[in-house]
Amino acid sequence: MKDKNILLDRCGDALKVALAIIFLLPLFFTILVSFRPEAEPVTNGNIFFGSEITLINYQRALVIAPWSLHYLNSIIFVAGTLLVQLVTVTAAAYAFARMEFFGKRILLLIILLQLMIPSGVLLVQNFRTINMLGLFDTRIALMIPYWGSAFGVLLLRQTFREIPIELEEAAHIDGANLFQVIRHVYVTNSIPAYLAFALVSVSSHWNEFLWPFIITRSEEIRPLTVGLNKLIKTTDQGAFYGQLMAGTLIVIAPLVILFLLFQRQFVESFARSGIR
Amino acid sequence: MLASSRRKSSLAFLQPYLLIAPTLILVLMFNIVPAFRTVNDSLYKPARGLNAAGKPPEFVGLQNFRDIFDESHYIGGRFLRTFRNTIIFAVATVGIGVPLGLLMALLLNRHQPLLGLWRFAIFYPSLLPLIGAASIWSFIFSDSIGLANAMLKTFGHPGLNWLGDRNLVLLSVIIVNIWKQAGYFMIFFLAGLQNISRDIYEASSLDGAGPLQQFAFLTLPLLRRTLLFVVVISFTFAFQTVEQLQALGEGGPADSANLLLYLVFQNISERRNWGYVNAMTIILIGVVLVFTLSNFLLFERDETQR
Repeated sequence: MKDKNILLDRCGDALKVALAIIFLLPLFFTILVSFRPEAEPVTNGNIFFGSEITLINYQRALVIAPWSLHYLNSIIFVAGTLLVQLVTVTAAAYAFARMEFFGKRILLLIILLQLMIPSGVLLVQNFRTINMLGLFDTRIALMIPYWGSAFGVLLLRQTFREIPIELEEAAHIDGANLFQVIRHVYVTNSIPAYLAFALVSVSSHWNEFLWPFIITRSEEIRPLTVGLNKLIKTTDQGAFYGQLMAGTLIVIAPLVILFLLFQRQFVESFARSGIR
Repeated sequence: MLASSRRKSSLAFLQPYLLIAPTLILVLMFNIVPAFRTVNDSLYKPARGLNAAGKPPEFVGLQNFRDIFDESHYIGGRFLRTFRNTIIFAVATVGIGVPLGLLMALLLNRHQPLLGLWRFAIFYPSLLPLIGAASIWSFIFSDSIGLANAMLKTFGHPGLNWLGDRNLVLLSVIIVNIWKQAGYFMIFFLAGLQNISRDIYEASSLDGAGPLQQFAFLTLPLLRRTLLFVVVISFTFAFQTVEQLQALGEGGPADSANLLLYLVFQNISERRNWGYVNAMTIILIGVVLVFTLSNFLLFERDETQR
């Protein structure tokens, strides 16, 4: 019996190593290829570095799109989305967690419909709405469909309800108004939930492509993913994979590094993003 | 206290409505109203001919739906092929990705050295932009210098046209998606496993249960809720993940690997197809709604009724 268990453990370890290697290989080769001379087959010369180590791919990728501008645009996009979300979500979460009012349940259900009909599948109609509002090709157009977040409302409503009501009553007795109560009693005591929400919001919008691609035209406001798309389309014509991999790394590096630094927070936040 | 509440009472009843108004208005604007408009617009065809842009669309009843389900119609051929691909894509992603996520959660569950490294290796693809992940794989799958063919060649195989062969492109897209999502599924299973008490395992091993019996008779039944939940959300996601196609053959030759939302995206600038696009969107919303609604009924209903 014991021997059998040890055998199973060893098999598990081997499987774990194999899976980790398979999952890491694409990243590993992306890094290698980005430093290899252009279009040198993987099997040519030294399997790891080809005939020489070069930065030419990075230099070429840097010329194709204005990356620093795209970086700035992505930062403005995710920060602008998150900041407004924090306000709308906190207000609604407090009302649903601690107030009684007519139509409370039905209004919550209406907001939850967002989870069932995500704006991502309503591309055509939302494209029309943005055009009707005269917002096409503006930064607001990128962010506005995400300013209301049913996920955030659910997550924070749950968190707020776990805060003892006595804290709020004490604050009222001290003369705090509604804004102060929300800020000092609820927000202050829900930082982990806010962090989880922020990580999920930022990483999902940082990675978004279809909506920004449809709703903007000017390079001045387009985010990183759209810049990467341009690089992909340029590469299509000549199979410049070294340059493509260099560009891809430029785009994905910040999130990968953030994840390396804050692994536990990321994993815990994403585990909550399913909302149960 | 009393005085202040009396002073406020005239307008205080408005307070909760003001607090939820921004979220409510945004959800109405970008989710609910557009959903109803999609239904309405799917019954119309944009006006044809010169100067058509200013003319009102023509009411055609269910004709758009008949067309997209008509194999001989040009849009119907595309839609039906794409719809079939989308179902294959969803079933394959869920059918392989979810068990793989569970397997990896079981392997990583116990405290162990290098946990951070293992977790990074499996989870990092979930954090990449879909289009970035696809860009990486477009190199791996590339004809002449790609990694996939380099490996095949070391085994004496001449190599495959991963992104050009109409029988292979969908498979390539599925592989990328499984690689991308399995780590995300894993973290739900890890969270679920942590809720299972260690004592149960200790008691059962005293009774002589081996690891395989423990998995079949303890872990799996106790994880049932998590499993169901992950299956439902992974189906919901599968119908919405299409951005990878931008770097992986744009739907393949003759739509052999096209997916529904991407077909909508491809037709968004074709004004004359908007009737069809709205009809397709209805089908897409219908499918997503079935899965999210069952998720809601299974897991969140008790939550909102409290």
